[in-house]
Amino acid sequence: MTTAPKEFLNEFHWLMDVLHNIDVGLVVLDLDMRVKLWNGFMQNHSAKASTDVLDKSIFDLFPELPEAWFRRKLQAVTMLHNAAFTTWEQRPYLFRFKNYRPVTGIAEHMYQNCTILPLTDANGQVAHICLIVYDVTEVAVNRMQLQKANAQLHQISRTDGLTGLLNRKTWEQSLRNEFKRFQRYHHACSLIMFDIDHFKRINDNYGHPAGDEVIRRTASILQSGLRESDVAGRYGGEEFAVILVDTDAAGAMVVAERLRTRIEASSVTYEKNIINYTVSLGIAELTAKITDPTMWIDTADRGLYNAKRAGRNQSVIYHT
Amino acid sequence: MSHTLTLSEEYRDCLQEVTNVAMGQAADRLARLLDTFVVLSIPHIEILSPADIAMALNSIDGSDCVSGVCQGFIGGGIAGEAILLFNDTSFADLARLLKYDHELDQQAERELLMDTTNVLFGACLRGIAEQIDMTFSFGPPMVLGQHQRLEDLFTPRSATWQQALVTEINYKLEGYNVNCDLLLILTEDSIDLLCKKLDYLLS
Repeated sequence: MTTAPKEFLNEFHWLMDVLHNIDVGLVVLDLDMRVKLWNGFMQNHSAKASTDVLDKSIFDLFPELPEAWFRRKLQAVTMLHNAAFTTWEQRPYLFRFKNYRPVTGIAEHMYQNCTILPLTDANGQVAHICLIVYDVTEVAVNRMQLQKANAQLHQISRTDGLTGLLNRKTWEQSLRNEFKRFQRYHHACSLIMFDIDHFKRINDNYGHPAGDEVIRRTASILQSGLRESDVAGRYGGEEFAVILVDTDAAGAMVVAERLRTRIEASSVTYEKNIINYTVSLGIAELTAKITDPTMWIDTADRGLYNAKRAGRNQSVIYHT
Repeated sequence: MSHTLTLSEEYRDCLQEVTNVAMGQAADRLARLLDTFVVLSIPHIEILSPADIAMALNSIDGSDCVSGVCQGFIGGGIAGEAILLFNDTSFADLARLLKYDHELDQQAERELLMDTTNVLFGACLRGIAEQIDMTFSFGPPMVLGQHQRLEDLFTPRSATWQQALVTEINYKLEGYNVNCDLLLILTEDSIDLLCKKLDYLLS
């Protein structure tokens, strides 16, 4: 008769040892939100010993815990007698703990998944709530890095490496979309095609790196003068293209001239050489006579050709 | 496909009854928690292949934009996944239902999805498990996707299984524009064990 309680005590002892040492956070709360169990994981990560937290309100101990939200979760758990879950994607953490790897880790804090369990008493009533806190920092960091890498790849596949403008393929997709929108809504829309005058001469005189610098500068001047809705792309070597949404030919002319004069006024310094250069621009407003996106480009290109023929460093509208 | 599984009429009726009872209990608890009346459809039970499921899903809701959450469960040799699909028009009402007073950004919507899933899955699965005298372990719920077309949420071609037992239940909440479908999908190798459990109820 005397051995049974001793055995039970032994078993209880090692069970508690497991709960205490398991590398998962365990917390038991009563229905008044007072802490009833606080295992080693929780003690070590929170720097709060059992004696500091037992019988104290979890909300007083951790003011960062969103009380209204947490209570709603607990209400569902007690009423439905069923576990509730929170994941790091939903809420990065329940308790703000340090990352387990403060030296080599890159996360600022521990990402946590939590399970909230109802604990029933001998009468089958929910009298306590158990929180299980899992450290999922590695998973979270990997997932976020993957998402970041994917976003970067997406960006790289859409843009031109030298200028950061949209590459030709992506820009042409925008052009086709804009063309479709025009067919449906018939709002004014214009296209500017332009290129750098005597670009070959710049390359020949100052070298290709200087030519690259000129292209980069042109792109940056172009980008700084655009509205958010305008779509600029690098069409070819020294050729650029801009779709101006809600803009008629006269409006596009204002944009083109501003761009032209700004480029004319600026200069690129490369290896002590000061390079001044100009651009020629062709403008085409979309009309019913333009029947496909390629024809729209051709029309603007004709404007560009006329600008070149008339002596360069100017903007010309080609009327359809 | 090596062989095609069938579920006898008897087992199907029994499972439907078990699900009905579980849903009834779930609806009662939900009504108390959410303060609204829950309208449930009669559970529809069938053995389906991945492609069939995709088709069944498409017939549920032809709309282009749905959000879905899944949660795995396992216990005593029975394993499966519950999938909950929401029509995207439900979000504002879901927020009202769960008494959310924050702005509804992507993060908040994710939270709403997870919370609703917790409540609906939990209530239903617990009821079923109790009747067949089992307890399940649950994995954390995962958002399958938000505001996507159905076929992007669930791609039958990448499935690694051939057939599964699918129970479909439609939830509507009175006074709210919330319409969602719950699919309980049990793996092929769970079906035998489930039938053994149902035998106890049938005998």
